[in-house]
Amino acid sequence: MTAPRQRRPRLLSLLRRPAGPRSRVRRRLGAAVRLGAALLIVGGVYTLFAPGTGASATDDPAQAQAVAEGRELYENACITCHGRNAQGVPDRGPSLIGVGEASVEFQVATGRMPLARHEAQGVRKEPQFTRDQARQIGAYIQSLGGGPTLPDPEAVPNLGAGGDPARGGELYRVNCSSCHSFGGGGGALSSGKSAPGLEHSTDRDIYAAMLTGPQNMPVFGDNQLSPQEKADIIAYIQNLQEDPNPGGWGLGRLGPAPEGLAVFVIGIVALVITTLWIAGKS
Amino acid sequence: MSVDQHPRAGGAEGAIDVDDPSVPQFDLVRAGARRDGVEIVHYAPRFPVRGTKVEKRIERTIALLLTLSGLFAFGGVAAYIFWPFQYEPGPSASKLFTPLFGLGLGGALFLLGLAMVVYAKKLLPEEIAVQDRHDGPSPSDEQRMTSATLLNMVDETGIRRRPLLKAAILLPAGGIGVAAVAPLIGSLLKNPNDGHILLRTGWDPANNNGQKVRLTRADGTPIRPEDVSVGGQMTVFPGIPGGATNQYADSPVLLIHLREEDAATLRANIEKAQQTNSHPPVVQGMWGNFVAYSKICTHAGCPASLYEQQTNRLLCPCHQSQFSITNQAIPIFGPATRKLPMLPLELEDGYFVAASDFLEPVGPAYWERP
Repeated sequence: MTAPRQRRPRLLSLLRRPAGPRSRVRRRLGAAVRLGAALLIVGGVYTLFAPGTGASATDDPAQAQAVAEGRELYENACITCHGRNAQGVPDRGPSLIGVGEASVEFQVATGRMPLARHEAQGVRKEPQFTRDQARQIGAYIQSLGGGPTLPDPEAVPNLGAGGDPARGGELYRVNCSSCHSFGGGGGALSSGKSAPGLEHSTDRDIYAAMLTGPQNMPVFGDNQLSPQEKADIIAYIQNLQEDPNPGGWGLGRLGPAPEGLAVFVIGIVALVITTLWIAGKS
Repeated sequence: MSVDQHPRAGGAEGAIDVDDPSVPQFDLVRAGARRDGVEIVHYAPRFPVRGTKVEKRIERTIALLLTLSGLFAFGGVAAYIFWPFQYEPGPSASKLFTPLFGLGLGGALFLLGLAMVVYAKKLLPEEIAVQDRHDGPSPSDEQRMTSATLLNMVDETGIRRRPLLKAAILLPAGGIGVAAVAPLIGSLLKNPNDGHILLRTGWDPANNNGQKVRLTRADGTPIRPEDVSVGGQMTVFPGIPGGATNQYADSPVLLIHLREEDAATLRANIEKAQQTNSHPPVVQGMWGNFVAYSKICTHAGCPASLYEQQTNRLLCPCHQSQFSITNQAIPIFGPATRKLPMLPLELEDGYFVAASDFLEPVGPAYWERP
C-alpha cells in the first residue's frame, strides 16, 4: 500500500489482492486453480445427481459387505479353476462373467461346486459352504459381471408360494418330465450324465436351475416360463415331494424300468418257484 | 382202494363186462383208462387207516387256509366299500386304498390256490399211470380204405369221359383266380403315397386356409424369438384349432435356440448336405440361431425331448436314441436310423411360423414310406 493516507486494514481489503499487474507465474497459477475448482464443482454435481449403476454394491453397505466376504471365499476355494477375475482357466473352469448370483447360489449351495473331479457331470454332494456363504460368493460374481438373480430369501421365503400346482403339473409334464421323470425321480442322459431327482431340491434351487440352466439342463428364461409359471412348477414339485407314494414304495420313482425289473426279479421268480413246487413229485 | 384189494379183473388185458353191476367201481375206472391207452400202475391212498392224527392235522390246515382265503376276500370287498379313496395331498389313509383292495383279492386267490394244491399233495391218493406213445402213421388197412374212397369220388363224377365239362370248368377257375390276385397287383401299380395322410401333419398350410401355420405354446399363445433363451428349448404346437390335442399328435415340434458357434456348425452341415442330391431335399430351415425339429422319434414314435444344451444332443427316453442337433438331428446312438425331420422356420409379424410342412414323413417308418 503506497497511498499516503493510512487506513485500518479491513477484512475485505485483506482478501483483495494487491494492486498492480500480476506476474506471469501468478497468472498461470491462478488459471490452474480456477480450472481445478471448476472441475471439482462439476464432478460433485454429477456425483450427486447421476443415477446409480445396476450392480452398484457400494450403494448398500450390507451388499458391499457380502461382496467382500464373497470375494474372500472365492479366493480360497474357486480361484484355482475359475481364475483371479472369474475369467476362467483353460481346461479347468469356465468363465463366470455373466452367470449371475442365481447360478452361483445353486451350484454352491447344492454342493456341486467345488467340483470333486472332472467327470461327465458335477453331481450334488455334501455342500462345502452354507447357503449364506453361497449367496455371498454369488454377490461377488454378480458384481463382476452381472447375470440372473433370485429374490431375497427374507423377502420371499418360499418361491412356490402362490403357485398353482395343477397348472404347475401341466407345465412340468411338458417341459420337465422327460428328463426328471413324472414323479420327480430323475433319469439318465447320454454318456454318463443324468438328470437328478428332485426330492431334496429347495424352492430356491429349483428356481435358480430353471433360470440358469446348469450344465446340460436347458435354460428356461423368464420369457419362456414367467416367474408365476415358475412358482406354479415349484408348487407342483413341492407337492410331489410331500405326497407319499400311493401303494407304499415308489421304487425310486424312476418309471417303468425299475418296476419291470422288480416284477421280473421278485414276481416271476416267485411264480417259477411256486410252479416247481406244484408240479413236484408228491 | 389199493392195487392189492383189486386184482386186475379180466386177466392181463383187463377185459371186464362194464354192464355187470357187481363189478367194483375202480375196475370200471381202470378199464376206461385202459381204453384211452393209459395204464394205472400204482394207486394207493395216503392214509389207509382213517382218522389218524396226521390226517386230521392236514385237514385242519387246509380248512384254515380256506377260511383265511374267505376272510381276505370279504376284507378286500369291505375295504373297497368303506375305505376312504378320495385324493388328498399329503399323507392320508386314502393312499392305502388300492394296496388294501389288492391285498384282499390277491391274498384270497393265493390262499385258495394254496389250499387246493395242499389238498392234492397231501390228501389225494398216490397214483402212477403210464401211457404208451401213439404210433405215427395210421394203420395200413385204414390207409387203403381211405385212398379207395377218394378215388371212387373222382370216378363217380365221370368227369374223365365228359370233355365239355372239363373245358367249361376252366373259365371260372381262371376268372376267380385273376379276381383274387387283382387287388394285390393293383396296389403295386398305383402310387400308395398319393395324398397319404402320413405325409401331412398339422403344419400343412392347407389346415390354415392356405396361410402359414404359427408356432404356438400348448395354450395357443404364439412365440417370438426372444421367448426362448440361448441354450433353451420349447415344445411348440401348430397354431390351428386343436393343434395341441391328439388330433395332431404327429405335430409337436421342439424349438431350440442354439449358441452362436453351434448354430454356425449346423448351418455349415446343412450347406454341405444340400450339395449332395439327397431325397427328400435338405432344407435350410433355420431362422437366425433357431432350429425346429419334430419331436416324434423316428424309431418308435416316443417324444424325443431330452435336450442336452451343452453337448447338443437330443435323447429319446424310450429306447435311448440320440440325435445330433448340430448335424440335422442325425441319430448318433441307439436304434433310430433316420434323422428327425426339420420344420422350416420363418418370422411373420414378429412371430414364428412354419414356412411349409415337413419335407419327409415324421415318426417311425411304415411299409411304403417314401
